[in-house]
Amino acid sequence: MNKILLVIQREYSTRVKKPSFWILTLVVPILLAALYAIPIMLATKPMEHANVLVVDDSGLFQGQFRSGRDITYFDAGSLDYAKRQLASVDTLDAIVFIPARETSIPQDAFLYYRSDAPSMSVQSDVNSQLQEILRNVILLDVHGITPDDYAMLTSTHIRLRTQDIETGRDGFLQIKLVIGVVLALLVFMGVFMFGSQVMRGVMEEKTSRIVEVIVCSVKPFQLMMGKVVGIALVGLTQFALWVVLSGIAMSGVRIANADLFEQATSRHSVTEVASKGTEATTQYEAARYQQAQYEAGEGIDNDLKDLIEGLASINFGLLIILFVFYFLFGYLLYASLFAAAGSLVDNETDSQQFTLPMTVPLLLTFLLLPAMINEPSGSLSTWLSIIPFTSPIAMLFRIPFGVPIWQIVLSVVLLLATFPLCIWVAAKIYRGAILRYGQKATWRDLFRFVKTKN
Amino acid sequence: MLTIDNISKSFGTYRALDGVSLHVRRGSVFGLLGPNGAGKTTLIRIINHIIRPDGGTLLFDGHPMTDADVMQIGYLPEERGLYKKMRVGEQAIYLARLKGLDKATAEQRLRQWFDRLEIADWWNRRVEELSKGMQQKVQFVVTVLHNPQLLIFDEPFSGFDPVNADILKREILRLKEQGATVIFSTHNMPSAEELCDDIALIDHAQVVLSGSLADIKASHPGQDLDRIFINTVRSY
Repeated sequence: MNKILLVIQREYSTRVKKPSFWILTLVVPILLAALYAIPIMLATKPMEHANVLVVDDSGLFQGQFRSGRDITYFDAGSLDYAKRQLASVDTLDAIVFIPARETSIPQDAFLYYRSDAPSMSVQSDVNSQLQEILRNVILLDVHGITPDDYAMLTSTHIRLRTQDIETGRDGFLQIKLVIGVVLALLVFMGVFMFGSQVMRGVMEEKTSRIVEVIVCSVKPFQLMMGKVVGIALVGLTQFALWVVLSGIAMSGVRIANADLFEQATSRHSVTEVASKGTEATTQYEAARYQQAQYEAGEGIDNDLKDLIEGLASINFGLLIILFVFYFLFGYLLYASLFAAAGSLVDNETDSQQFTLPMTVPLLLTFLLLPAMINEPSGSLSTWLSIIPFTSPIAMLFRIPFGVPIWQIVLSVVLLLATFPLCIWVAAKIYRGAILRYGQKATWRDLFRFVKTKN
Repeated sequence: MLTIDNISKSFGTYRALDGVSLHVRRGSVFGLLGPNGAGKTTLIRIINHIIRPDGGTLLFDGHPMTDADVMQIGYLPEERGLYKKMRVGEQAIYLARLKGLDKATAEQRLRQWFDRLEIADWWNRRVEELSKGMQQKVQFVVTVLHNPQLLIFDEPFSGFDPVNADILKREILRLKEQGATVIFSTHNMPSAEELCDDIALIDHAQVVLSGSLADIKASHPGQDLDRIFINTVRSY
């Protein structure tokens, strides 16, 4: 027992001392913090102001372009004049040109620029204004609908709520779906990441031939389990550091940009920011901003309410316990198989012969996720969440939706029963294969190793 | 010290050892000779309990050999190997602790050995930074560090330059003087003649010649060990 602890200690300390461990440990929180900070900084950062000339030969767009905080539109009489201006005045950035109509509805518009192409935000603003103005013209001319009426019509919103008639509670299926998929993905990636570390570790010992010295001191089973457990501890350490460091990095971002966050998260300031640049003079624009207010304010409120209620409807205690359980045993199950695969081969390319078939259940469950999403309690999902090799992914995906207790118990019991069996088989293969060099192992060898007594 | 009685081992249809019996006297240097593929390494692995024989028994100090007895062996395999990324000192201490030494004793003995072999400044270097010969020197120290009663060296001189091979020979003789029993396999007949008290010649999975070096040389007058080896293997 003492020796297995020594092996665990070596596996752990050599990996934790590696620079690559710390790089990965630091990169993930930094990336997360950046993902968190960048959109907010971009949204609140003032863009370079653009001045755009509008030349309208169709007669539909004249005076209709609305300037905003970042773009000012000027009507210019003729295209020739506008082109001369663009060529000579540095502060002008582009010309929007709508040619004379050949049909009642114009088909093409042009955006002219000098040397530097206009930014994506200018292009998209021009484009959306073109579409909107044209739509308003058609609505008014053909159907007699004013922009105000239209804004009112499109601002209606009805929320579809899924409810269980027995409990009367909302289903919040979307939130549960996201949580389920994230959990399934975490287990999938964790098993592959740390499982292949086990395999590489075994291959390192085999190819460097040090294993012959070590098996004189420790039993092959102790060496294999020491490695599997040591790497599991490395994985747990990394996850714990990720959680802590990400928390620190995100609160750091929040504190450093406190003013921006207040702007971006407070409902009133969102609408303020949106309306600051443009003065809402016409009734049409007032309606427009009412709509924006709805989208920014009440919409967020409802989504937030959904999110909070949805989260509250999930049994997090059970979720966390089962996540740790399935992650750990899923890893142990597959890591022992990865160790066996590593012992069978002399180099990484050959290893695929064995790793591919043994990871099929994992890959299959992953590929079947879309089908499971469609029916989280269907027979496919149920079966996959009970079969030991697929249950770590499938069951975790299903947990947020609520799973009958007998299915959870069955799945847990089956996994617990399979795990020693799997390790036993893996240890047999490992013991038989670890000192064989040169010959390529076949599936028949595999069965022979398993049958060998002791 | 060690009695090997009627050991057999097959791999599939290939017979690696066929009824091999030998006796290694306590405090002697025993040479295991034979052409490539004769079965020497298989025999050594069986003594180290790395593989199990199909038949036959091993007696260690007169009793059937147990896993605990294996801890009294220091084994230097033919294919040397260390963790390439680990530092020399740290790795040597780890391997010594696996053999049952506590950390302080292991470090103290290692420092002594490293000083005597003048390799103390390798302590903090990674194994991959050392040349092959240097790695072998480190591995030799690791093999003998726990003061094993029985030392088994598989081709100890391969990969060493003459100067270092000579240092190694002197260290082996020093260990013998301190009471260790040594088994080593080699192709190098002059070094076998120089070091061995007893030898055994294995060919095609069987012992074809064994006994004390003096007796064997007396029964083959005018021949050196090289000649005896070639003639015996050929005539067999």
